[in-house]
Amino acid sequence: MFDPTIIIFLSSGLFLGWSLGANDAANVFGTAVGSRMVSFTTAALICGIFVVLGAFISGAGASQTLGKLGAVNAIGGSFMAALSAGITVYWMTKLGLPVSTSQTIIGSIVGWNLFSDSYTDISSLMQILSTWIICPLLSALIAALLFFLTKIIVRRIGIGLIRFDGYTRLALILAGAFGAYSLGANNISNVVGVFIPVAPFSELNFGWDYRVSSAQQLFLLGGIAIAVGVFTYSKKVMMTVGTELMTLTPLAAWVAVMSHSIVLFLFASEQLESFLANHSLPTIPLVPVSSSQAVVGAVIGIGMLQGGREIHWPRVYGIVRGWAISPILSCLICFLGLYFMQNVFQQEVKQDFNYLISEGVIEKFQKEGIDTSSIQELKGSVFKSSSEVVRSINDKVDLSREQKQIVVNYSLQKRLIVTTENLETIRKNGLSKPQFESLKKFEGQSFDHGWELGDALVLKSSDWLIKGGVKNKLNDRKIKQKLAYIYRILQRRSM
Amino acid sequence: MFFKKQSVIEEKIQRLLRYLEDMGNIFKYAYESYLDGKFEELNEGNEELDKIEKELDDLGRRIQMSLVRESLMPDSRDDLLWFLTKLDKVPSSFKHSLGEIVIERPEIPSDFNLPLKNLLQHTHEAVRSLANCTDALFSDLRAVRQHVEEVGRQESMVDKIEYKLLNSVFENEEFELSRKYQLKSVLKQLGSITNLAEDVADAVLILSTKYSA
Repeated sequence: MFDPTIIIFLSSGLFLGWSLGANDAANVFGTAVGSRMVSFTTAALICGIFVVLGAFISGAGASQTLGKLGAVNAIGGSFMAALSAGITVYWMTKLGLPVSTSQTIIGSIVGWNLFSDSYTDISSLMQILSTWIICPLLSALIAALLFFLTKIIVRRIGIGLIRFDGYTRLALILAGAFGAYSLGANNISNVVGVFIPVAPFSELNFGWDYRVSSAQQLFLLGGIAIAVGVFTYSKKVMMTVGTELMTLTPLAAWVAVMSHSIVLFLFASEQLESFLANHSLPTIPLVPVSSSQAVVGAVIGIGMLQGGREIHWPRVYGIVRGWAISPILSCLICFLGLYFMQNVFQQEVKQDFNYLISEGVIEKFQKEGIDTSSIQELKGSVFKSSSEVVRSINDKVDLSREQKQIVVNYSLQKRLIVTTENLETIRKNGLSKPQFESLKKFEGQSFDHGWELGDALVLKSSDWLIKGGVKNKLNDRKIKQKLAYIYRILQRRSM
Repeated sequence: MFFKKQSVIEEKIQRLLRYLEDMGNIFKYAYESYLDGKFEELNEGNEELDKIEKELDDLGRRIQMSLVRESLMPDSRDDLLWFLTKLDKVPSSFKHSLGEIVIERPEIPSDFNLPLKNLLQHTHEAVRSLANCTDALFSDLRAVRQHVEEVGRQESMVDKIEYKLLNSVFENEEFELSRKYQLKSVLKQLGSITNLAEDVADAVLILSTKYSA
């Protein structure tokens, strides 16, 4: 049964989406609109359509990394995480400091992790933090290369000023559409990513093959919120950005937008990842990156290619300072907000899970290379939070970053019960026949941990086997997604 | 199909450049006729020049209106309007130079005939090169530089001739001061055409550099 109060909780995500649309659309069309190369109506229409398409079609990739960092498991918590990110974006914008929605939402998730005593996956956090440096650098590099090549091409082709103007305008519109698509694909996870674990929607099935997952429904809603932000409030920001960047020639403006879009696309495209993986090439992590960082990086790249004299370095330092402050501020606001929400407004902001160190869990630890001799005494212990279980085991044996995450994953108690009713729910949702048949064999049985069911399924069907390696990355991810879906259904129905 | 509006503006600019070349031809012919004592041809040429200038003004206005109304990017539009305003001064300079001759009928020393015809030839070449470089600005930016350089070469030739003739005028003790100043004005008016042509050609070069860099 759909609970209408969900809409109230989702409102903070929609607010965040609106502010992202109002601010970040300027990174895509700001130069073109601000310098009146493209009219605002044209820009807003193209931007709105492509943002929604990008979010709906390709939004899933980057949101998985965000989910790994911390799965906010109660809708009240998701509300506060999105709200604190939105407030930070709003405040920083008011103070005239450029902000990144990606960074504020990361700060919020870490704030929720701290408040709920959940373990923060340091590997995922480091992966995300590294993109804050890689993203502008990569964007600068692509911009410099693209600018250099474009200049050579323009000088070589016989074209007049008026045709050049026409082609540039067309190129700006196409680059803007690509940029809006990439923005939607990459940044939608910032807007509604924290709501995915608590997504209130049921899967929608259209015919046999087409299914719209609850996450996709969230992406669609978030995409529409971004589009509304573009239509209602981005004009002012676009005009400001365009005026600030007036020193860029139309060609340089196109290069800046293209580089920004390429970077966002690289960090969001599952298709590209699939291509690289299929050719045994190293894949690019699908991470939400900052649109502002990408465009600033691109402008610096073009500036550096021209000798760097025109770059206003104090302004660059100001922007970097804003990037450093925003996640910390968002983390603090989220932590305090959660405290008030839980203790003053009596709202559930986190769900408590148990972390059980059973015989089977210790065996799993051993297989993952953890020295279990000193943790035998913890056998049978139940911990109330992921941080607590990591602390307790780390006191006995030194754990690496990866091992800490392994401890959390294996000890998490889920209480999964395979019933006829939830099998019926799962039946139509993308499982292969062997996968479903193997699951069906466990009807009536219960499991204490997700991995117990996973291991049992592998014994019944190789379709559940996670093979590892770059080439199997995508297939492995699909299996993990299906398992996560099954756990959610079995857990929800059994609670 | 995608660039219909742009094609219309390009076509109008091409027509404007043909008018400019026509004015250059008529100016040269009329001026040479005066030097040869054919006053009838001078008057006809002057009338023809007037007529073409009116058409050219009208066309220039229509191009400016198109630029304002049609879908050019504002940056390019401003650049083009600035350029067309500069280009518009060249036909006016033809008219002023020939108009001065028609009204004042200055007595040109016979030994000035040949150098003046040379000067007219260089002026004609400079204006033709200006039309070519402007044409290249709207058809092939790569070709702009060579035509701009040609305008510069012709302008320096004109300068040299003008300087020599001015020296001759002011060194000649037989000329009255009033005649000296009248001849100086005639020479300065002629020289101003290539100066303007060079000025406009520089603008073409600036625009082509801006749009290809």
